[in-house]
Amino acid sequence: MASRGVISYETPLSKAFRWFSAVFIGFYVIWTVLPIFVMFVSSFKDLLEAFKLPAVGDWAGITVFFEFSPTFKHYYELFANLGFSTYLFNSLVAAGGSAVISVVLGSMAAYSLSRIDFRGKNDLFFWIISTRMAPVVAVMVPLYWIFRELGLVGTLPGLILAYTTFNLPFAIWILKGFFDNVPYAIEEAQMVDGATRLQAFRAILPLVAPGIGAFVVLCILFAWNDYLFAAIIGSGGAKTLPAATRELVQPQNIQWGQIMAAGVVTTLPMMFLGLVIRKYLVTGLTMGAVKE
Amino acid sequence: MAKVSFRHVWKKYGNLPAVKDLNIECPDGSFLSILGPSGCGKSSTMRMVAGLEHITSGEILFDEKPINALPPKDRDVAMVFENYALYPHKSVFENMANPLRLRGQDASKIKERVESAARLLEIHQLLDRRPQELSGGQKQRVAIGRAIVREPNLFLFDEPIAHLDAKLRAHMRGEIKHLQRTLGTTMIYVTHDQLEAMSMADMIAVMHDGELQQLGTPREVYNKPVNAWVAGFVGEPAMNFADVTIEDRDGQTTFVHPNFAIAVNDEQQRIIAASAKARQLRMGIRPDCLSITMEKPAGDHITGQIFVTELLGGDMIVDVDLDDSRIRVKTSPEFKELENQTCYITVNRDKWHAFSKDDGKALF
Repeated sequence: MASRGVISYETPLSKAFRWFSAVFIGFYVIWTVLPIFVMFVSSFKDLLEAFKLPAVGDWAGITVFFEFSPTFKHYYELFANLGFSTYLFNSLVAAGGSAVISVVLGSMAAYSLSRIDFRGKNDLFFWIISTRMAPVVAVMVPLYWIFRELGLVGTLPGLILAYTTFNLPFAIWILKGFFDNVPYAIEEAQMVDGATRLQAFRAILPLVAPGIGAFVVLCILFAWNDYLFAAIIGSGGAKTLPAATRELVQPQNIQWGQIMAAGVVTTLPMMFLGLVIRKYLVTGLTMGAVKE
Repeated sequence: MAKVSFRHVWKKYGNLPAVKDLNIECPDGSFLSILGPSGCGKSSTMRMVAGLEHITSGEILFDEKPINALPPKDRDVAMVFENYALYPHKSVFENMANPLRLRGQDASKIKERVESAARLLEIHQLLDRRPQELSGGQKQRVAIGRAIVREPNLFLFDEPIAHLDAKLRAHMRGEIKHLQRTLGTTMIYVTHDQLEAMSMADMIAVMHDGELQQLGTPREVYNKPVNAWVAGFVGEPAMNFADVTIEDRDGQTTFVHPNFAIAVNDEQQRIIAASAKARQLRMGIRPDCLSITMEKPAGDHITGQIFVTELLGGDMIVDVDLDDSRIRVKTSPEFKELENQTCYITVNRDKWHAFSKDDGKALF
């Protein structure tokens, strides 16, 4: 059994580089984790406790970050008085709905583009991808006008449609690559076994499951974290978490505690989703049934 | 079970013909092998039978019923693919059960059929495994198992053992032949390996450039090739060819070559007299119809120089240089390897062939 990957030998340079990377990663972790930590801890603190800071240079004073009596009052305020349960629901429906619609339409479109030859296929495919080339802001004004004329502004279907518009090309693009990697022989074997074309298509879906899984996550992330569409198209009737959080910044006072709590509510589900689906995102399903 | 007939079948990709006017009758229960090099149209032919390619023109019939317009699922054929095409996410059992499930058989029947097929192929201990946990030979058995679980009209095997190692291939040849005899189902077996076709099939259809060259039993194809191409393709080591002129010497028709002049036998003389106007022919003879000695023999012989010898265990192949060509002789391993020495080859005249130089058609 040969070793996997290219072997390398230790040199002074590589040793130095290893030290450098360790230090770099250390800083990077602090840089990334600290804001999340502050957000998480502050959401359980009273406003006065949250703003207790040690003096500059007083390293021992760091402990003041941890000296607080935990309180759930910000969370209680969000869900009991500010209607965050509705916004959470809106976020879930908008993200989930657009992901489901995009994956259903996207896998069928990607399958067709992968398997069927027709005139202008490359142009069509390029056009589909090109819809993602313009920044969202550039199309926002006409899009808003169209949505308003159709009565979709401030509704969940409107928001789902808006997200789907932007997710579908992405879905087709990702999934086509996955379908391209499934050998034709597997569908042909299905058809000879007695399947219709549609049954054969369904039969190869498990083989593109990693692609579908990866795409669903990206699609949900896009919709979940989106602020622009949520603020403009979803405003009013279909307010999502980011838009609602923004409203906690009021002219008179900034509700820091509630903002931190809303941040936690917004972040946790996506972190959890990431953990669950990590396996799909990282590993491709190399299943070795077809010997090429 | 079904009789399969090809009537003037053409397959074109764009303007490029892959199969040209194919006519084959494959009797019910027989083992037909379609033999040819890659790109000869043999796989296109099989895929047309399976319904994976449209038939450009002509008809394919099962028991006199045209099947041109039927989708694969309605043709009731079972196919084994070159790359096995197992379903990677399904267990061996589910792979084999798939054709039965698609036909809505009930669970107890499926279990019974899959298990009996698995026992026949000796893979019953692997039913819970996934394809990626199997060796090449085991995958290939699963692919065959998936084909035999439902007793189809016709088996289509597309180079099923091409990817196995040599020893396993030899073993599987016997297994597949035995399986076909046991089940009695008509089989079309596509291969580029003439040894597979020779050793397994009842009938061989030799194809080249999309055209059927010869349809016959393995013996006919080997002993009476219809043209020089078939003669050169079938048989290992390959047939030797030499361009000869026909001359009349002492009232005997003689093949004359810079290295030899050998008279043909009486029957061959009649055939040449009746047909060939040309004075040039291609002589062909198989390496095992030649014998080599280091002493000059009494009768007609070919004189050459030993180029190299190859010992193949039970046989030895000697490459002999003539003035303008090289011929191979099969001899016994006792032959001493004496490179660059002059040697003498005698010819079994009853076994040689003559082909027209223009179109390669066989005279005898």
